[in-house]
Amino acid sequence: MRFVLTKILLPVLLLALFTTSALAAVGCDLNNPDRDVPRLFPESTSFKTVYVSIQKLGGPALLKKIENRLGAQSIALYAPVDVPYTLYEIYKDKKKVGYIHGVNQKGQFGGIQVFIAQDLTGKVKTFYLQKITGASASKFREAKFARKFEGVTLKDFDHYDPVRGKGTGRVAEVPNPSPELETDYYGILRGLKKNLVLMDEFVFAAERAKP
Amino acid sequence: MATNCLSLQARDLTRVYRRGSEEIQALDGVSLSITKGEFVSFMGSSGSGKTTLINLLGCLDNPSSGELELAGKTVFGHGQKLGEKELTRVRREVFGYIFQNFYLIPTLTVLENVALPLAFFRKPGAEEEVERLLKMLGMEHRMNHLPGQISGGEMQRVAIARALVNRPEILLADEPTGNLDTKRAGEIGEVLTDLNRSSGLTIVMVTHNPELARLAGRRIEMRDGRAFEN
Amino acid sequence: MMITPFQIAYKNLLRKKVRSVLTLIGIMLSTWVLVSLFGFNRGYETALNRDIENMGYQLMVMAKGCPYEAATMMLQGGKGLRYMDQSMVNQITKEPEVDKVTPILMQAFFDPNKGESGGIAGFYGVDAHSYPAMKPFFRFKKGGWFKDNTADEVVMGYEAAELEQREVGDETIVPEKNVKLKVVGILERTGSQDDGTIFVPLKTLQKISQVDQITTIGIKVKKDADITSLENKLYQLKDVQVVSFSQVKQTIMKLIATARVMVFSIAVVALLIAMVGVINTVLMSVLERRQEIGILKTMGAMPGDVFRLVWTETLILCGLGGVAGIFLAVIFSRVTDLLARSILPYAPKGGLVAIDLKLSLLTLAIIVVVGLLSGLYPAWKAGRIRPLESIRGE
Ligand SMILES: Nc1ncnc2c1ncn2[C@@H]1O[C@H](COP(=O)(O)OP(=O)(O)OP(=O)(O)O)[C@@H](O)[C@H]1O
Ligand SMILES: [Mg+2]
Repeated sequence: MRFVLTKILLPVLLLALFTTSALAAVGCDLNNPDRDVPRLFPESTSFKTVYVSIQKLGGPALLKKIENRLGAQSIALYAPVDVPYTLYEIYKDKKKVGYIHGVNQKGQFGGIQVFIAQDLTGKVKTFYLQKITGASASKFREAKFARKFEGVTLKDFDHYDPVRGKGTGRVAEVPNPSPELETDYYGILRGLKKNLVLMDEFVFAAERAKP
Repeated sequence: MATNCLSLQARDLTRVYRRGSEEIQALDGVSLSITKGEFVSFMGSSGSGKTTLINLLGCLDNPSSGELELAGKTVFGHGQKLGEKELTRVRREVFGYIFQNFYLIPTLTVLENVALPLAFFRKPGAEEEVERLLKMLGMEHRMNHLPGQISGGEMQRVAIARALVNRPEILLADEPTGNLDTKRAGEIGEVLTDLNRSSGLTIVMVTHNPELARLAGRRIEMRDGRAFEN
Repeated sequence: MMITPFQIAYKNLLRKKVRSVLTLIGIMLSTWVLVSLFGFNRGYETALNRDIENMGYQLMVMAKGCPYEAATMMLQGGKGLRYMDQSMVNQITKEPEVDKVTPILMQAFFDPNKGESGGIAGFYGVDAHSYPAMKPFFRFKKGGWFKDNTADEVVMGYEAAELEQREVGDETIVPEKNVKLKVVGILERTGSQDDGTIFVPLKTLQKISQVDQITTIGIKVKKDADITSLENKLYQLKDVQVVSFSQVKQTIMKLIATARVMVFSIAVVALLIAMVGVINTVLMSVLERRQEIGILKTMGAMPGDVFRLVWTETLILCGLGGVAGIFLAVIFSRVTDLLARSILPYAPKGGLVAIDLKLSLLTLAIIVVVGLLSGLYPAWKAGRIRPLESIRGE
């Protein structure tokens, strides 16, 4: 009997395990980190992938706080409080030099994935739209547009609200490369702010707290 | 019933017990007849065969030889022998039995014990007998007691009521007072005499108690498996 | 004032209360085990059968060399798609083993704005009428299936919806072709490849991609049909490959058979234990009451009367114990469920222990019949007690 059990039940067990492992949530990852990281952070020599979640860092209270900072109903669609965010810690030799982090943002025809590479102060080094869908999507992915965001910090959003699309400062001055598609344009700006806020809460808030 | 009013007739009854290779002659040719309405007592020393005889008369046991007739019909003898079922039928139609040890069912009340035989066999009108007998034997106030809650004498009264509930023709009593003190024994004796006198019940009783035996109209002495009329 | 044989039997059981109660507990426990086992066996079987049911199709037929999963197709960059004629569907439907069939068209489009150098967007064209029945376990987070094979609509798996950040009512676009489609349904997670799939009505996808053929046929086999023989028949079809998930079904079927053997052997043991308990109790009580039974016989009880009396005692014991056991089983069915789950290496979803009235009555009947069988010998022995033996045997 025992023999039969192991012979029959084991495969089924494996099957069940396989099924559950496929249940792990997906966040926003680089499609090909080994190739993407050096491109987004040229001086990097290595990187480490870490996972953070709002649930672990501060739970519903933190979620509330982030939502308030964003002025948005929810951070993203299908993102429960325990969804893992993928954070790439960038190293030059043994020294940490920055981060790469991406967020999902709703666009007109599909999801927009806004990635930024930041130095240790939180300043944007590289801006990268990994994914954006639609006929004029390629206009948003032009290097010209991405370069407009180099050097942006969270402070730049003090005077600009991407939810209402109003404000002043360097973010307000970035032109919409595809004026007929407002949804995607403001979506990108919202995604950028969200990325900066999340990084601030995940990383920089903790570093500020240190003496 | 037979015209000569013979209730019970035994001819040359013997009973041999076998214990291994040893043979015990418990009854050694007993002939007697008991007429309806008689009160017969058997006395005799221990082992003289009283119980053996009364069991044979009551159709509880088969004789080794001899004949037994009941109201003219052969129960044993002439090469025939009734089967267990027919014997049961004869027993419940004709006999009532009481024993030294009462044998009441301890979980049933006095009333239920008396009514017990009716669960298996019931003569017409037997239901009314239960109450009448309990009253007659002075037990109606103890109706709902359990056997463990009444005295030995009372237990034997209940056993008598139980034996009489199906209105038997013959009451067989093997040492009915053997477990009772003199006073209680006297009371049971009175009950039996009364039953014999007032309702003409035939009673066959085995006893070691001479006073009780004296109540019987006919006394028989047992010695070594033989019966001697006094 | 009359006393019935039933009362006599029942009152007799009260005499040795502890013994009667212990026997009752024994029968009760046996019944409990029995009901739980039967309930478990049934619940387990239905749950596993539901698992089979939920597998959707167990066979897929596709053109030779064609990738068979949306994910594989995407990994291969949407290349290597081969087509077959839709008439194949009718051909396969004729096989007696086939329960349901559904035609599927897989298509991949290049999206230059996905990743650094573009990526593949896969679409799964499915028949609005036959496909949903193949996936009865799909639960919609929001919305539902498209009703029409020509609708400009899509249904998204959970992860596809997450990636595309789509909600019901949103628009989506087919890259390359720039066709806009409306999201009408978003599925809950299934833990399978379906999570990343975007479903489009078959005709719509055929129109978009200007293909009037299909890539895949999903086949659901009748529950007790021989999958292997069907597989062999399908292999005979020209230019076709067969992908089978039948191992899983066969494994589950084997699991059911094993569980059945286990359950019934334990049930037999439980019954034997109950039986020995009953025989012991009733026989003891008969032997102790030889004299009383003898007296009953002097009163005119026939062997059959005594037999029935003792049998009634058995019946009371088994009836009461059985009913109590069933109650116990019903009350603790959740616990049994958890217990079974902790023991079983693989337990399907849903209630494992299914106890209903029919099952309870069946078990009660089994217990009573087994009890009466156990009572047979003691009752027969009691019936044969002769009045004299008992009186003499003081
Ligand atoms: N079942 C039996 N097997 C063997 N011998 C028996 C059996 N019953 C009685 N006897 C013997 O038969 C003889 C008569 O016994 P019985 O019981 O008839 O005597 P009793 O007159 O009733 O005595 P007591 O006054 O002691 O009751 C005794 O010797 C007894 O030992
Ligand atoms: Mg005697």
